[in-house]
Amino acid sequence: MKNRSLLLLGCGALTGLVLAGYALFTARGTSTLIVPPEDVALVNQQTISRTDYLQQLQTLFGVDLRHATPVQRRKVLDDMIREELLVQRGKELDVASTDPDVRGAMVHAVELEIAADAISAQPTDKQLMAYFAVHRERYAGEGTMTVRDLVFSQTAAETAARAAASLGSTAPTPALLAQWHARAGTAVGDEEFYFAARIHLGDQLFEVAEGLADATASAPIPRADGIHVLYMVSNHRPAPADFAAARDRVLNDYRNESISNLRIADAAFLRKRAHVVIADDLR
Amino acid sequence: MAMPLKILAAAAAAACIGVVAAVFLHGNRLEARLLRADPMTIPDNTNLMLFATARGKPLFKTDCAICHGTAGQGDSTRGIPNLRDNDWLYGTGTISDIEQVINYGIRSYHPKAWNLATMPAYGTAHPTARDSQIPPLSPHNIEDLVAFLLELQGNDAVNGGGTDKTAVARGAALFAGVGGCYDCHGSDAKGEPAIGSPNLTDGITLYGDGSRAALTQSISYGRAGVCPAWSGKLTPAGIRAVAVYVYSLSHGTSG
Repeated sequence: MKNRSLLLLGCGALTGLVLAGYALFTARGTSTLIVPPEDVALVNQQTISRTDYLQQLQTLFGVDLRHATPVQRRKVLDDMIREELLVQRGKELDVASTDPDVRGAMVHAVELEIAADAISAQPTDKQLMAYFAVHRERYAGEGTMTVRDLVFSQTAAETAARAAASLGSTAPTPALLAQWHARAGTAVGDEEFYFAARIHLGDQLFEVAEGLADATASAPIPRADGIHVLYMVSNHRPAPADFAAARDRVLNDYRNESISNLRIADAAFLRKRAHVVIADDLR
Repeated sequence: MAMPLKILAAAAAAACIGVVAAVFLHGNRLEARLLRADPMTIPDNTNLMLFATARGKPLFKTDCAICHGTAGQGDSTRGIPNLRDNDWLYGTGTISDIEQVINYGIRSYHPKAWNLATMPAYGTAHPTARDSQIPPLSPHNIEDLVAFLLELQGNDAVNGGGTDKTAVARGAALFAGVGGCYDCHGSDAKGEPAIGSPNLTDGITLYGDGSRAALTQSISYGRAGVCPAWSGKLTPAGIRAVAVYVYSLSHGTSG
């Protein structure tokens, strides 16, 4: 009876040791002898990923593993091992403390890491709709307008006023322009998005044009280059988009805002836990 | 009689432990084989395919289905690609290409993510932040481009027909000229899998139903879909298994 107990105890202990040994020598991050199946090499315990190896093979030689020659395989592996060794040496030499490129790359990499975390959290439609409701004006479609800009000489104020009064019922034709001795201004005359019309007209004229209804003319607007009269052929003001149409942009903006918030929080956290001493003269 | 019963019980327990250990070791062995296999050869290996799809399916349902749908059918109203149609934006749909996307994502902010091209928003003052040389287009320009695309896809009739052929010609000129569309979509408009620009001639649209309105929306406001990077969130074996499962969805082997 006692022998059997000891035997069972021994079996249990042996099984435990075997399992512990197996785990110790194969677990990711602890293995010193066996290359994990997802990797192609261990360089001073640092793994070189199989996926990266395959990708590198594709990038360098345009072949997959099956079609790669032994020379190509070896070349890619050697290159990757060399790179890993140099990176490790770079850490030993602490190149980040002296090389601005390395510092820049590290800052960028950490920022990317933070953003990647934000990206992997998938917002629900409810969250997106709440965001959309708060920023609805951002998702209005761009307005469009077709506007004519008539420019009269500085001395033709009366003609400009007469033209402005008559343009409500008549669109400006080349014949009318010739009759009034007016010229066409910088507005293209074709249908334009609001942002483009603003660029062509300038802020002052655009703000007048924005308020004009279809087939109406503005009052004369004196400017340095002459007296302007705007005639609005058609004015489609920005229409608010519905959530379904704007969802894609809402999602991008929501994510960008999450990333921005996360970066600010991360910077604050790092600053909080850091021991920073500032020189007296800069305090 | 009592002794043999005890021995029998001990033997049964040992057998159970043995079976569990065998299953565990077999699973691990298959997992290692899956990871070490050349991804191109996995579809030819029935055992590995069965193992990987069985393992990948629940992971897909947990992590990917929230966007791609439980059957991988996607959602064109949200620009989520259909994974069942064997039409691929990034790469050519090999297990390796799919694995690359799962690992590092698309515009995921992972340093190795696919992030080379973004559809500009031509109906805005600054179509793209990356390239100031790309000019905005006018509403008429965009209408002409849409007319060209509808003609190209053979969708004109579906959208009511009657597209002005001169508008199509103007659209073609914009495509190959000032619009700069050819730069990503290719001068034949067949796209470029190396940067994820879609083929505009095959009638498959990622966003919307290929209608005039949907195309106008895409050209006016741009597109920049995102897929998160799963590297570090799923195990390498899990990622490979999901890649094989996704591959199987369009190759009729998902079971």
